[in-house]
Amino acid sequence: MDAPLQSPIHLSAEADADVLYLQGSWRLDRAAAIAAAVNALPLHPDRPCVLDGSRLQELDTTAGFLLFHHLDEAGFAADTIATRNLDERHARLLHLVHERMRAAPVKAPVVAPNVVQRVGKATLRMARELADHNAFIGELAVEAAAIFKRPRLFRFSETASQFERATIDAIPIVALVTFLIGVVFAYLLGVQAQRYGATIFVVDGVGLAICRELSPILVAVIVAGRSGAAFTAQIGSMKVQEETDAISTLGLSPIQVLVIPRLVALAMGLPLLVFAGDVAGIAGGMLISTAQLGISIPAFVNRLHATLDLSAVVIGLAKAPVFALFIATIACQMGMSVARDARSVGENTTSTVVQSIVWVIVLDAIFAIVLQRLDI
Amino acid sequence: MDTVLQVDSVVTRFGRSRVHDGVSFRIGRGEVVALIGGSGTGKSVLLKEAIGLLRPTAGRIELLGQDVWQADEQQLNALRRRFGMLFQDGALFSSLSVAENIAVPFREHTAMPEELIAPLVGFKLSLVGLTPDTGTKAPAQLSGGMRKRVALARALALEPEVLFLDEPTSGLDPIGARAFDALIRTLADSLGLTVFIVTHDLDTLLSIIDRTIALAGGKVIADGPVAAVASSDDPWLKAYFAARAPQSGRKT
Repeated sequence: MDAPLQSPIHLSAEADADVLYLQGSWRLDRAAAIAAAVNALPLHPDRPCVLDGSRLQELDTTAGFLLFHHLDEAGFAADTIATRNLDERHARLLHLVHERMRAAPVKAPVVAPNVVQRVGKATLRMARELADHNAFIGELAVEAAAIFKRPRLFRFSETASQFERATIDAIPIVALVTFLIGVVFAYLLGVQAQRYGATIFVVDGVGLAICRELSPILVAVIVAGRSGAAFTAQIGSMKVQEETDAISTLGLSPIQVLVIPRLVALAMGLPLLVFAGDVAGIAGGMLISTAQLGISIPAFVNRLHATLDLSAVVIGLAKAPVFALFIATIACQMGMSVARDARSVGENTTSTVVQSIVWVIVLDAIFAIVLQRLDI
Repeated sequence: MDTVLQVDSVVTRFGRSRVHDGVSFRIGRGEVVALIGGSGTGKSVLLKEAIGLLRPTAGRIELLGQDVWQADEQQLNALRRRFGMLFQDGALFSSLSVAENIAVPFREHTAMPEELIAPLVGFKLSLVGLTPDTGTKAPAQLSGGMRKRVALARALALEPEVLFLDEPTSGLDPIGARAFDALIRTLADSLGLTVFIVTHDLDTLLSIIDRTIALAGGKVIADGPVAAVASSDDPWLKAYFAARAPQSGRKT
């Protein structure tokens, strides 16, 4: 009994009962030893059983649970277990453990869905999302109509502050990205054009590609990642904090207060960002043309003047508000549909960025085909 | 009675505002102690300082014989296994189910075999008065009271010697709050826990607390049994306990 590594439990068969001596420290850190020792006991569930605490020093609920759990599994009925010589504190604890463990634990049913179930689930979820988007657009239209009737409801200062954050603050990153793309594009085009001595056509290519396709797409993708994610996270955390409910109870409409300013700010801001992108991208192309292809700056500007159609620039700028409306609507709707927990904010934010980028590309393809057919 | 928590002339400043201006007290093993004080008197701050989350500007805090702010990371981790903390809103991990939440300490800190963890988690749930089928739910599906109980089960998982509770009854209905109080007292008595509660709840104070420490103006203004603190001359304490007087008058 004085050996430190004694077995935690000792069984001795007495005249009318099996006596289990609990020995030493019965604590969580010895749980493995306790479980092993209890498992190794030759138990007779048909005989009454007495727990003797005279050699017990410490006891906690985990150890107590392990004991009763095993006795229970071995087939002891609760009322055949008696105790003796227990310290008052240990007796109270054992009593509590015993009383609280009647209920059998429920295991979560582990379901591994098969391919068909997964596809079905994903389809249903997608259908639900589309329906939600649809409903949201309807709601948005109703609220927008209300603002048209009473323009005083339009929140100018909120719109201005969103405009600043989504547009003005995005200019450096937009300029940097499109500038570098202009550099890369002019460089690759220049390498090909030099073989045919047609370096001047690099100007045509850079101007058209940047203004009509690259700048709108890149800017939309950057804004989807930047402002779209921010919109979802902002509105989503307001939803978690019940701020949107507070807005409703104050007699205001969350859509008018939160969504429409963001929508308007982005729809106005994105064309401007695209224009900034056009300028930066062409500047990047100009840098490479001068340094690598020997086209002087005046020559570059003249050539650009002569070949870059105004329509290409206008098409690029005209796509921007459409992209902006999609991004802002998706972002705000995902924000409004956040559930009341932190994980959901993260999931919806991710979903916003993915959906926005996919939609931007889809829309761009639609634009390309339609404009082609219309011969513009 | 050996000392579990010793707070020695703790000073806390945030920028220019002085939250604690020499707070000292000690808590012995097995005591159930409440820390009270008006809003902004730094109760929760003191709690965070005691468990090593926030460093006081000056002073010494000794928890279970270990100076919290002199301990290295290893000592601190050893210490963390010996106390449990119940955060105000439960702070359950929202990406895990209830059962997985409670299993985290077992998986991370013990060599408990997997087949024992599931029944053990079920037992911990019933220990805090929940049915074991609660385990399959997500924290977001639970009511405030249930969330607190789950958080309590998680805090108690590693059999701590000390339990820290931050506003355990806030946000609960009176019946739920009293049931939670009773649960804490039962567990404290049966498990021999030392309990340190930060609370506003006068009913908690009057029903389960051995000793009350009151903070005001950055100092301890009262420290003693609830009855003694209640009869203090301090104006804030008078007002605090008076808030309850009419009702207790009716009761008798």
